[in-house]
Amino acid sequence: MSLMMFENARMSARSIAGNMVRSALTGLGVMIGVAAVIALVALGNGAQKSVEANLQALGANLLIVYSGEPRGTALVRANTANIRPTLTPTDIEMISSLPGDLVNLVSPVSTATGQLKFENRNVSASVTGTTPEYPEVRNFYPVHGTFFSDADVERRGRVIVIGMQVYRDLFPSGADPVGQTVRVNGISFQVTGIMEEKGSLAQDNAVFIPISTFQRSISGAPNVQMISIQAASSEVMYDLQSVIEQELLRLHRLPSMEGADFYVANQMDILSTVQGVTGTFTLLLASIAAISLVVGGIGIMNIMLVSVTERTREIGVRMALGARGRDIMFQFLTEAVILSVSGGTIGVLLGIGSAWFAREIAGTAAVPTAESVILAFGFSVLTGLFFGGYPAWRASQLNPIEALRYE
Amino acid sequence: MIDLARVSRQYQMGPTLIKALDDVTVTVKAGEFVAVTGPSGSGKSTLMNIIGCLDQPDAGTYTLNGEPLETLGANRLAEVRNRSIGFIFQTFNLLPRMTALENVEVPLVYGGMRQRERNERAREMLERVGLADRAHHRPNELSGGQRQRVAIARALATQPVILLADEPTGALDTRTGEEVLALFEQLHEEGATIVMVTHEAEVAERAHRSILIRDGRVVDSGDI
Repeated sequence: MSLMMFENARMSARSIAGNMVRSALTGLGVMIGVAAVIALVALGNGAQKSVEANLQALGANLLIVYSGEPRGTALVRANTANIRPTLTPTDIEMISSLPGDLVNLVSPVSTATGQLKFENRNVSASVTGTTPEYPEVRNFYPVHGTFFSDADVERRGRVIVIGMQVYRDLFPSGADPVGQTVRVNGISFQVTGIMEEKGSLAQDNAVFIPISTFQRSISGAPNVQMISIQAASSEVMYDLQSVIEQELLRLHRLPSMEGADFYVANQMDILSTVQGVTGTFTLLLASIAAISLVVGGIGIMNIMLVSVTERTREIGVRMALGARGRDIMFQFLTEAVILSVSGGTIGVLLGIGSAWFAREIAGTAAVPTAESVILAFGFSVLTGLFFGGYPAWRASQLNPIEALRYE
Repeated sequence: MIDLARVSRQYQMGPTLIKALDDVTVTVKAGEFVAVTGPSGSGKSTLMNIIGCLDQPDAGTYTLNGEPLETLGANRLAEVRNRSIGFIFQTFNLLPRMTALENVEVPLVYGGMRQRERNERAREMLERVGLADRAHHRPNELSGGQRQRVAIARALATQPVILLADEPTGALDTRTGEEVLALFEQLHEEGATIVMVTHEAEVAERAHRSILIRDGRVVDSGDI
């Protein structure tokens, strides 16, 4: 058998080489299909990776309790300034007192739109009252100066950390703002730092002050709009969410989450939703690519059928010389597989090459996966077997007498 | 050696049933050089196909070298063709992309012989037909007579019990046809059993016995 396989490979190579242009064009179909599978899956995979990275950038193992009725699954809401705060100091205390194997950090957050003034410049910004845990929970740190401290919260200090956009608008000369006094809705605050640039207006056009100062001077109420929570690990996120939901329902004297005045958004939920969406996207791309692989396969089938017809007489001669039906079948199958695999091999290189090109030159996130390479290569073998199968079978079923008489 | 007893073969051609062979009994002994002659459409091709195991009889028995063949399946028939029969065709039927040597190797490949042994055997056969110096030429670089000699070398390669030649000189001019017939005589003297189908009387005369077929029946089995 192995002898025959080797001989088949030799005969096939000869026949492929004897019809180089035709073979190249046939292989091209599979090549494009395989390259498309790899490149498009890489693109989909890259999109998924970049979305995941963006989500991670919001903070690790993040859970946010929002005031108000459940609104979809958005983890970070674009406009939180108008939410009526329903989360009480008791709620915050309850969450803070949860065991350390569930909760790592807790940071209450309230926001309101405020008017900032420095010298003769005026800007409107989102004023956020929070605690010193905020930078770590939200993975959002000062790039210059410092965030405020527990002591500042304790004494309702009039200190402020400003977002990058606010800094640019108020200090267009680029002067160091630390120690300067800005006015928020007419009240003086001393700047202690500038937050890093996140690239989103919601974060860059915000200023941060102690939650206690916010409650006294801006909102005038003890409730907060949100509580950001860093779970102890990603494994406990769902447990933590249900504990918080149960405890808050109890504290708020509500029967169920249906119509509750708060809801919990969970980073894992978002992650799995996003993964679902990008997974579907990747699957879509892969199926489009798979169609081109099938088209390539049909090309192989077509050319193999032509080849069988052209070589009818050769088949007859081989049969007369002692070839069995299966010898003929394997000869043509080998030829089809060699065609599709050589197309597939070049396609793999081309696919990886174009993914690299997309990443390095065009700057698109495209990450070729080993799975897609193996899959596409495997499919090119299967394409050869499947689409070469029928022509090979036809060849093996020829009647030697008629085949010998064929002109 | 070849024992066909009361063999019939018929084809359905549209509405008519054609009796290509009708109750034919033929015997060829080992070492004989036999010609099968007859006008076209007489059934000599069908007889040749049955002897060559490319076709099987509808009725009657065929025994080759003591082995009954009429019940064998397609794969076993292929093995018999490979092992026991050497085909020589009118139009040579060499594979165009292969050298003379590789063409001679083809039946040995299907016989499962190893590369080195195969190569040695093929060279031997080319030498036997006087073409050792043309081993690496392709068919289109050879003359008609040389091509037919390569085909004969190929037929001899598996050392079959019979050589089966179908109009072996039909595509050759008189002089090269003569060379091929001389080669057959030489092989016959070396002990080969040869069955040659021809419609040319002077070619048939070179054989030691002529079987004449007409309308699917043996008219004259040429027994002495």
